[in-house]
Amino acid sequence: MALDKKSGYRKNFSLGVTFIILISILFILSLFLAFNYSKKSIENEFVSEKVNVLEQSIKAYNDFFQNKMPEISYYNGFLDSATAAKFVDTVSIKYPFVSKVTFYDTEVKNIPVKDGMNVGNLSIGPKSIFQFGKTVASDSVKLFSEFDTRSFKVGDDFNAMAYKLVTFVDQLDTASVPTQEELFTNFSVVKSNKITYLNIPRREDLKIYKDMMRRKLDPLPVYQQDMLVFQLDPNKIKVINTRPLLYQKIEVEPLTYDPIDTSDENMTTEIALPGAFSDFKLYFTSSKSYIKREIFIYFMPIALVLLLVYGVLLLVAFLIYRNLNINSKMFKLQYDFVNNLTHEFKTPVSVIKIAGNNIKSATSLSQKEQQLYGKILDEEADKLNGLMNKLLAFTQIENKAIKLNQEQVNIEDFIESTIESHTLKHPDFKITYEVVGFKSFITDPVLLGSLFDNLAENAYKYSKPANKKLHISAKLIKGVLVFRFADKGIGIPSSELNNIFKKFFRIQNEYNQMGSVGLGLAFCKELVNFMQGEISVKSKVGNGTEFKIVLPYNH
Amino acid sequence: MLKRIILLVLVASFWGCKDSQNGQTIPVDDFFRTFDKAYYHISPDGKSLSYLRFQDKKLDLFVENLATGNSVQLTHLTEKTISFHFWTSNNELIYYTEDESKDRRSDIFVINKDGSKQVQLSANEKTRLRVIEDQLIDDKYIIVASNKRDSTVFDVYRLNVRNGQMDIAAKNPGNITEWMTDHKGVLKIAVASDGVNETLMYRENENQSFQPVVTNNFETTLQPVAFSEQEPNVLYAISNVNRDKNALVTLDLKSGKEKRVLFANDTLNVVEARYSRAQKKMLFVTCETWKKQKYYLDDSSRDIYSKIDQLLPGSEWKIMDKDKLENVFVIRTFTDKNPGSYYLYTASENKLRKLADINSSIKEEMMSDMRPISFRSSDSLTINGYLTLPKNKKATNLPVVVIPHNGPGGRNSWGYNAEVQFLASRGYAILQVNYRGSTGYGKSFYAAGFKQWSDKIQEDVNDGVRWLVEQKIANPKKIAIYGNGFGGYIALNCLYKNSDLYSCGGSNSGVINLFSYLKTIPPFLKSNLQMYYEIVGNPITDTDYMRFASPVFHADRFKTPLFIAQNPKDPRVNVAEGVQFIKELKKRNVPVTYVEKEEGPNPVLRQQGRTALYKALEDFLKTNLSKK
Repeated sequence: MALDKKSGYRKNFSLGVTFIILISILFILSLFLAFNYSKKSIENEFVSEKVNVLEQSIKAYNDFFQNKMPEISYYNGFLDSATAAKFVDTVSIKYPFVSKVTFYDTEVKNIPVKDGMNVGNLSIGPKSIFQFGKTVASDSVKLFSEFDTRSFKVGDDFNAMAYKLVTFVDQLDTASVPTQEELFTNFSVVKSNKITYLNIPRREDLKIYKDMMRRKLDPLPVYQQDMLVFQLDPNKIKVINTRPLLYQKIEVEPLTYDPIDTSDENMTTEIALPGAFSDFKLYFTSSKSYIKREIFIYFMPIALVLLLVYGVLLLVAFLIYRNLNINSKMFKLQYDFVNNLTHEFKTPVSVIKIAGNNIKSATSLSQKEQQLYGKILDEEADKLNGLMNKLLAFTQIENKAIKLNQEQVNIEDFIESTIESHTLKHPDFKITYEVVGFKSFITDPVLLGSLFDNLAENAYKYSKPANKKLHISAKLIKGVLVFRFADKGIGIPSSELNNIFKKFFRIQNEYNQMGSVGLGLAFCKELVNFMQGEISVKSKVGNGTEFKIVLPYNH
Repeated sequence: MLKRIILLVLVASFWGCKDSQNGQTIPVDDFFRTFDKAYYHISPDGKSLSYLRFQDKKLDLFVENLATGNSVQLTHLTEKTISFHFWTSNNELIYYTEDESKDRRSDIFVINKDGSKQVQLSANEKTRLRVIEDQLIDDKYIIVASNKRDSTVFDVYRLNVRNGQMDIAAKNPGNITEWMTDHKGVLKIAVASDGVNETLMYRENENQSFQPVVTNNFETTLQPVAFSEQEPNVLYAISNVNRDKNALVTLDLKSGKEKRVLFANDTLNVVEARYSRAQKKMLFVTCETWKKQKYYLDDSSRDIYSKIDQLLPGSEWKIMDKDKLENVFVIRTFTDKNPGSYYLYTASENKLRKLADINSSIKEEMMSDMRPISFRSSDSLTINGYLTLPKNKKATNLPVVVIPHNGPGGRNSWGYNAEVQFLASRGYAILQVNYRGSTGYGKSFYAAGFKQWSDKIQEDVNDGVRWLVEQKIANPKKIAIYGNGFGGYIALNCLYKNSDLYSCGGSNSGVINLFSYLKTIPPFLKSNLQMYYEIVGNPITDTDYMRFASPVFHADRFKTPLFIAQNPKDPRVNVAEGVQFIKELKKRNVPVTYVEKEEGPNPVLRQQGRTALYKALEDFLKTNLSKK
């Protein structure tokens, strides 16, 4: 039996454990994979997101380059120092990276110039040069004029642009219309931290420039051109960190910047700036722990989902285990019942067999012997009959196969006869009773007798030998009959209270090692149900148990 | 092959047009069609009529014998087109042709009226030529102005029509903008201009040098009409010297003083004066208020010319050419609903013969009336204009298109306007405003518009719109503004400054930048630059104002849908600037409809370009004015 039990439970249990271990491994594995994935994708983002940062940060520069700078052309060479100063003011407010602007008020003419460029008959030279910017002192705004050439030398910026203009004019195809892009590239010089822009003249003017290169025109023409050199400060670029959680620090650094002390603590990446800032790059730094936080933020929702799945799986496993457990308990109860029943039947059967054998083997039977064996056989047969009746009745009641006999029952007589039959069987059983509020009622006396017998039997069985007491009370309370069977027995643990009315249930203890089937209380419950009543129990371990039966009061 | 395809397309579009005409929508092209025959000239004896006629998309010269009605085709041109032609004698004509190339190579020919004899006077000259006097002098010379010596100035030459030889008659020192001869072909008048001031110069004969007579500011008009033949040194001129409106006066060329006033009125502005060489007197003046009207200077003139009035009731008419005896006239007529026709009028018989319609596809009964209106500006100036209401619609709560006219100067006049009629046929009321600075309303009104392009001129247009809303004619939520050149400039400024008034609008070849506008004044008009600085603004001294007044600097303030058309090959416009402007607008999410138009000399392409432009404009107005 023990072996069976073991093999029955252990198998389930190990399966369960295996299952739990497996899904736990799976859970941990998926957590691990998810974490690795998060880490990888954050690391990838660390590298790829820099494009967005660059795009956002360089927006102002692009706006300046594509929209604001071409505005110079709108002035068509009519810019003077005052207007240029205003223009620069608006520029430096909106585009803080423009640190200084040099304005060359330039003339294109047929008369050779000293400062500037002379190609053929075409001469390009500054009339005056001004500089504007926050750092420029007010007394050094004017750098150069035709009358005062000593203070400033017309530098490379001017010559580079003038050379570009001359080359463009020289190669100009007067028959075709130059594209917008062609013009833009030819009228701007983008160098490191410096953009030179020359206002784009009309096509007609360019043709005249070309003509001027070849010959002197009459009257000598003078054309105004405005050249502006923008000094840019890459450190003034407003870096827009689109992913503040990803990048701890973004800095504008020279292209060659490569710090030696890049410890393992930090992750770095870089992207080169475009256009005039091409000698600089955006340098992104994040410490590992900083990245870890971002990874964690990324990983958390995945982990939560995994945890949820894991939890659901565990719950399902637990529910399956519980069902299996209940089923196996049921199985065990039925097993026990068969065992008990066999035992119950075995005793009278073996007694009958012994008695039978004795009678058979005895050569002669004395009067006394005959009396004894007869009595034994009679009693054991009664026992068997009782057992079988009980089993049968239980099945019948359970299947509602019997009919109620409605008879007037005098309650005091009925209790007294019950007490009598029990004290006859167990002289040490002390039963007291009380009846309040009524004398008789209508019920099935057989069923009621079974109910009383079973409860009295239980009270006797589960009481210590010195304390086998039972008090029966019958009261009419608010139109219903309330019967109480209170003993001073060993009591029922509260954890078992819910189970005692179940079929084949028996509390495992020394009081019911034999002669108990575990049907008693289940039978009682069925009986009460059949009589349209209710049964309940109150108990305290060591103090005793009280069963309460409520029956309808018919009279 | 290509021609065949084009022909097919034309035929197809013609049928397409026919269909839609039944649906009450007149096709775009119908409004803009032009003549087949025009440029009529009558021979000095009044017996032959010359004209140009479209032949395979080219103009050719024809001569009709008025007695027999037979026509002879004199030219069969392939490369060059005729710019002008005229009679030099009863039997000979001169015609001038130019090609379409950049250099405008030109030829001059003399041809007999029956085509029998043709002499080429010059070939492939890279110069431009204007005729000052077409009357033959000494039976062989005509007087012309040419920029042969210097492309920027026009000198006067005697052109020998027998051999094409050109002798210089007067050298232009560079500042002469106009020349004039007397009745005998003697060059006696030169008008010099320094850009701001105009000086009338006179010499008694060709051996003398020109002496200044009188100097006037450019705001003042002094327009020579004819020499008096009765009195020496006296000139008929339209003048508003010391008065607000133009009058017809005689001017003493010795003293520079006004001698007599022939016609003057405080409310009437003389725009034209007619001198008769046959009768040796001034016949009539034409004054323009909302419409041009003739005022006869004596009864005999009235007797003769009012007969034409009676034959052409309701029409405006103009003498285009006449014979030497002033008996046979070529007359051009028009009304607001009809671009008009050419007529031949014979005074001796009082007979009118129709020669040709300008645009035969216009049906007068389907066109809309052009009504004169006037309102008070916010600073209490009377502003005139015209209102054209769509036909068959109640004059309340209408969608309106405001069309400010081009400038500087100029005005809207009563007469057929294809653009206006086209838009009116599409259900829009058209408002035209002769804002201050428009010519024809007196000197002070003209001067009031100087340097006001972005201020009071614009306000005049806005006041017109407000007036129209007050009259309940306009639906205040459906007003568009659209213009050409400076009209487009006004439209753009109104659109961003008064976005409460206008829900959409645009410009066609509009001025978007005053700086570049002033840059476009061609080299040979350099003397005019000072004048433009005065009218528009000085880019050197008023840089800030010019910036403020130029729409190109304010792309960030535009919100309403824009329609912008320009010709990418237009040498007068800084196209790159326009493209940059549109790019910036688009970046700022302003809905821009951009049309690149074709404006070549090729008439087929030009017509296609025009059709596309007006289709786009029609769609643009439809989507943006019918929305709300």
